[in-house]
Amino acid sequence: MKKNFLMILALALFMHTTAAQAAVDAQKAETFVIQVTDNGIKDIINANIPQAEKDARFKKLFNNALDLDFIGQFVLGRYWRTATPQQRTDFIEAYRALNIKTWSQRFDEFKGKNFIFKGTSPSKSANQVFVNSVVPMEQGEPAKVVWRVKQTGDKFKIVDIIIENVSLAISARNEYTAYIKNNPGGIDALIKDLQAKSK
Amino acid sequence: MQKKVLFVVLLSFMMVTTTSCTTSRSVTDEHDQTDTLEAYNRAMFKFNYEFDKYILKPLAEGYRDITTPYIRRRVNTALANLKEPLYATNNLLQGEFKDSGISLFRFAVNSTLGLAGMYDVAEGWGFPRKQAGFDSTLAKWCVKDGPYLILPIFGPSTPRAAVSLALDSAFNPLYWATYNDANVHDKVTYSYAVVSGVATRESVMDIWNDLERNSVDFYAAMRSAYLQNRGQSGCYNDTESNAQAAYDFDFGVEDEDEIYNEMENQ
Repeated sequence: MKKNFLMILALALFMHTTAAQAAVDAQKAETFVIQVTDNGIKDIINANIPQAEKDARFKKLFNNALDLDFIGQFVLGRYWRTATPQQRTDFIEAYRALNIKTWSQRFDEFKGKNFIFKGTSPSKSANQVFVNSVVPMEQGEPAKVVWRVKQTGDKFKIVDIIIENVSLAISARNEYTAYIKNNPGGIDALIKDLQAKSK
Repeated sequence: MQKKVLFVVLLSFMMVTTTSCTTSRSVTDEHDQTDTLEAYNRAMFKFNYEFDKYILKPLAEGYRDITTPYIRRRVNTALANLKEPLYATNNLLQGEFKDSGISLFRFAVNSTLGLAGMYDVAEGWGFPRKQAGFDSTLAKWCVKDGPYLILPIFGPSTPRAAVSLALDSAFNPLYWATYNDANVHDKVTYSYAVVSGVATRESVMDIWNDLERNSVDFYAAMRSAYLQNRGQSGCYNDTESNAQAAYDFDFGVEDEDEIYNEMENQ
């Protein structure tokens, strides 16, 4: 009897510690996203500084907040494994440049808007969590924006942004794998096209 | 070898059993499996693109030029008001009786006090819009979506969405109010189609331009966005967690890819 009790205790303790190890600090993840968006809105979008300074600040924020190496791997899908190291680096850099350009273009649309955070939802991936937010719109329902955050040690990185159920990572993956499949030039052609788009 | 085959069979069995109703599309599914009509779709997409370029987009741009955001908001609110009978019907069909009542109430209040729906008076009173169309009703009744399908002029759709589009339009009060006078009826319904088409195109102008400017394959980009956006509405017996599962994918899909590669090589 005593032995059984001890075993249950040991098991409970074991389960507790593994759960704690696997868990992501949802509270801190939310704080991280709030900081990133605050930084973006106050110090970049609404700041009274020249465009070049805005772009530079945004680039820094973007690189600090998003794990583009991680996202890029997923985005290339099955083609990541067959890509050469050079192609991988070139792709990540081209994808990064296009994203920075795309998001800077959206600054104007974002003026005067703000995020209202609505807590977190768990992810099936142990070290990740979804931070929920909405953006009130001029008309109609607010837009739903969900941030997928990955924790490594005590560091947080955004690995996906889901706007109205549309995941940026899945969108890019669907588009780029379709492109590679339909294009005889393959990954190299994709990299060239992405580079051209971000000029 | 045999072990591998067994693993693939087991996995595909798991995928079949876990794929409920309409939600939870696997990531690889999205571009390979659900676009069985890709050759036709791409051709129709091209046609629609030209139609948009020379007709719809210039109309929408012209409309934007000659109106202010305030006027466009009034037009959009009035157009949305005409959908309240549709929302009332579908809320009823989905068992949302309270929402159905709210939709009817909104239609009555906004059509009169809201000056033919130009102002959303009811929302100010604490009765916001409760959207529900036939597509969400059919989804709730567990009707499957079917393959991605580009319709002429109307664009991205699926068989279920296309049927819903037709059913939805039959609930337009303008259609019934003018039914007895064939002459007026035609003028009213055609004008409505043009006005709502142009107003809708104007309202998606920025997001459309954004997507087109930043994509290397506009067709694939739009397909992906469309399918993900509509993937949320689930069957009545789906749980909340299933709805979220659509974007809670596993980033490490290497194993899954390997299986697909093997299936392709066989």
